[in-house]
Amino acid sequence: MTKPSDTLYLYSDTANIMFFKPTPTTGQPLYLQLMQQIRHATETGVLQAGDQLPGIRTLAEELVVSPNTVAKAYCELEHDGVLELKQGSGAFVCANRRARSLAEQLPLARRRIRDLIERLRDDGLFDEEIRRAFEAELLYSAKIVKKR
Amino acid sequence: MTNEPVILTHCLTKSYGAAEAVRALNLSVERNRITAFLGRNGAGKSTTIKMLLGMIRPTSGSGTLLGNQITDAEENRELRKRVAYVAEDKPLYGYMTVEQTIRFARSFYPDWRSDVEKKLLHDYELPLRRKVKALSKGMRTKLALLLAFARRPDLLILDEPSEGLDPVGIELLLQTLVVQAADGVSVFFSSHQIAEVERVADSVCILEKGCLLVDASLDHLRQSYRRIDLVLPTLVGEGEFLIPGVQRIQADGFHMSVFATNNAEAVVERAHGLNAISVEVSPVGLRDIFLETVREN
Amino acid sequence: MLWYKAWLETRARFLASLATLTIFCAVLVHHALYIACSNTFPCTEGWIRPGRQAEFYRLLLVTQEFLVFMWVLAVVLLGMGGIVREKALGTSSLTLSLPVSRTRLMRVRVGLGILEALALAVLPWATVFAISWIAKMPVLISQVGLYVLLLVGGGLVYFAMAVLVSSVVAGEYTAPALAVGVVLLGLIIFDAWLRRFNVWRLMTGDFSIDRDTYLLSGHLPWWGILASLSVAAVMLLASTLVVRRRDF
Repeated sequence: MTKPSDTLYLYSDTANIMFFKPTPTTGQPLYLQLMQQIRHATETGVLQAGDQLPGIRTLAEELVVSPNTVAKAYCELEHDGVLELKQGSGAFVCANRRARSLAEQLPLARRRIRDLIERLRDDGLFDEEIRRAFEAELLYSAKIVKKR
Repeated sequence: MTNEPVILTHCLTKSYGAAEAVRALNLSVERNRITAFLGRNGAGKSTTIKMLLGMIRPTSGSGTLLGNQITDAEENRELRKRVAYVAEDKPLYGYMTVEQTIRFARSFYPDWRSDVEKKLLHDYELPLRRKVKALSKGMRTKLALLLAFARRPDLLILDEPSEGLDPVGIELLLQTLVVQAADGVSVFFSSHQIAEVERVADSVCILEKGCLLVDASLDHLRQSYRRIDLVLPTLVGEGEFLIPGVQRIQADGFHMSVFATNNAEAVVERAHGLNAISVEVSPVGLRDIFLETVREN
Repeated sequence: MLWYKAWLETRARFLASLATLTIFCAVLVHHALYIACSNTFPCTEGWIRPGRQAEFYRLLLVTQEFLVFMWVLAVVLLGMGGIVREKALGTSSLTLSLPVSRTRLMRVRVGLGILEALALAVLPWATVFAISWIAKMPVLISQVGLYVLLLVGGGLVYFAMAVLVSSVVAGEYTAPALAVGVVLLGLIIFDAWLRRFNVWRLMTGDFSIDRDTYLLSGHLPWWGILASLSVAAVMLLASTLVVRRRDF
């Protein structure tokens, strides 16, 4: 699972992304949080197609998480078609249809969520209540999302 | 490279007279993972580790570490070549200097890595010529950890490694653990610091009164353990929620709090079936998982 | 580097004992020569009158008697330590996690202890010889050799006893106190009832001394030495077994 150390140079050259240390207390597995960060970066254009992500060892050390967490995140993202794992050289951002369409879908999804939140606020719900309702529903249906 | 567990015990037991410190322990620690060993003081963590390393003789049961029988003195000596261990009290020889201590430890292990030694000496800012008995507690901890980290063992066993370290030291420690794991070292550490465990552990084992109560991956725990808070329209008996997966039910009038280790969906369904006024599902952090687990026993 | 560690652990005790024993012997032999040479040092004549020679060797015998007492105490102190003591100090988890067997740990500790005990016997007597040589009245080398042999051959059993005690008892003061207690008890018992088997008398040369010349005869109590060394070996074996079985 070791990655070549020269990804450090590539990392600073190409993928100019700052990762945030995942927070362990939200009840969400850390690898999912990491996946979200990477996905978000690809959707907003911070990570371009073809960019190389840091090696597992490097990223694990920087974020202070288990390398298995990083490996799982990368693996799942490869499964989702976001990343491409090249044997011996590292993880690269895929340039494929699904990632691109997601970049289009996301602004639409956010507009819909914005509208829903506005309506719920009009109904008299507080933001905290809205958030908890979302979380509850997401967790309830989480088992459908689980892949392994 | 085999996929056998690095640590595997079978009914490992240690009794002191009538008291059982460790009870029929069936521990299985996977290779290439960071496994945390949680438990209250006196739960039997240190006793288990010492049995694995041949310092304490089990009353009954057996175990293997890296494929070697722990109860055979010669095999245990063999496995100790590939295991790095730092005991809870960070033992060091007070009469040796930092330099002498490192030279001493280095002489026993061909897998010693001088580059890591130099880096850690620099990071930890350890004074080479000072005697260990003149070091502060934090420095002693760092030196004890250095002796383990400057090697390339197959298994790293740490008993309360962050005790005695300031937050910067703890961060460095976790980073080192993670880098070791990335280099192929299996890590098995016991800790009271739930926060650090949640950050780096892949799997968690919870020991209470000598028994293994939980042995699962942290991701699985995060995805399965739930607290469901309900408000019901009528007074409902706790028996309504005795569904498989439910560990504890707390009822207070119309409010009910259900702690489930898995199968939370069934609880939600039952609640809806009883026309619950409000159903709130929340994830449970490792601290609460630990507290609930040891409380039940 | 186990030998190095054992050396660091016993160094202070060893050097202090060595200094004490050597200085003591030096002073005693100087005094003996002074008397034997009619209050001059160094002696101006070669060997003096036969009567004085016997007197000189009698004083050497006295030296040995004191030396035995101090050597036994020193050797008992050297026998302290070991993994059991380390457990009380909190370092046993480090030592026992090393990829070495407990037997090897014991062997190194005992090996160094025996070497140190030997040094504690040889060096003081070598000093005696050196001073007598400077005084132009050298002690017979054979006598020096015999005294050393009696000391070590008979006395290693005390070292072994100390090792056994320290393998069973962990306290910093209780272990040496117990060991010294055993020494004293042995003295009393063997002096009162088993005089023939008293190893102390063997070490001080009581069994081999010629009462006219005060020279040790070559007729050494070999059986006694053999018996003493055998008991020592048994005790060391017992210590190893005790340590192997023990929980740390």
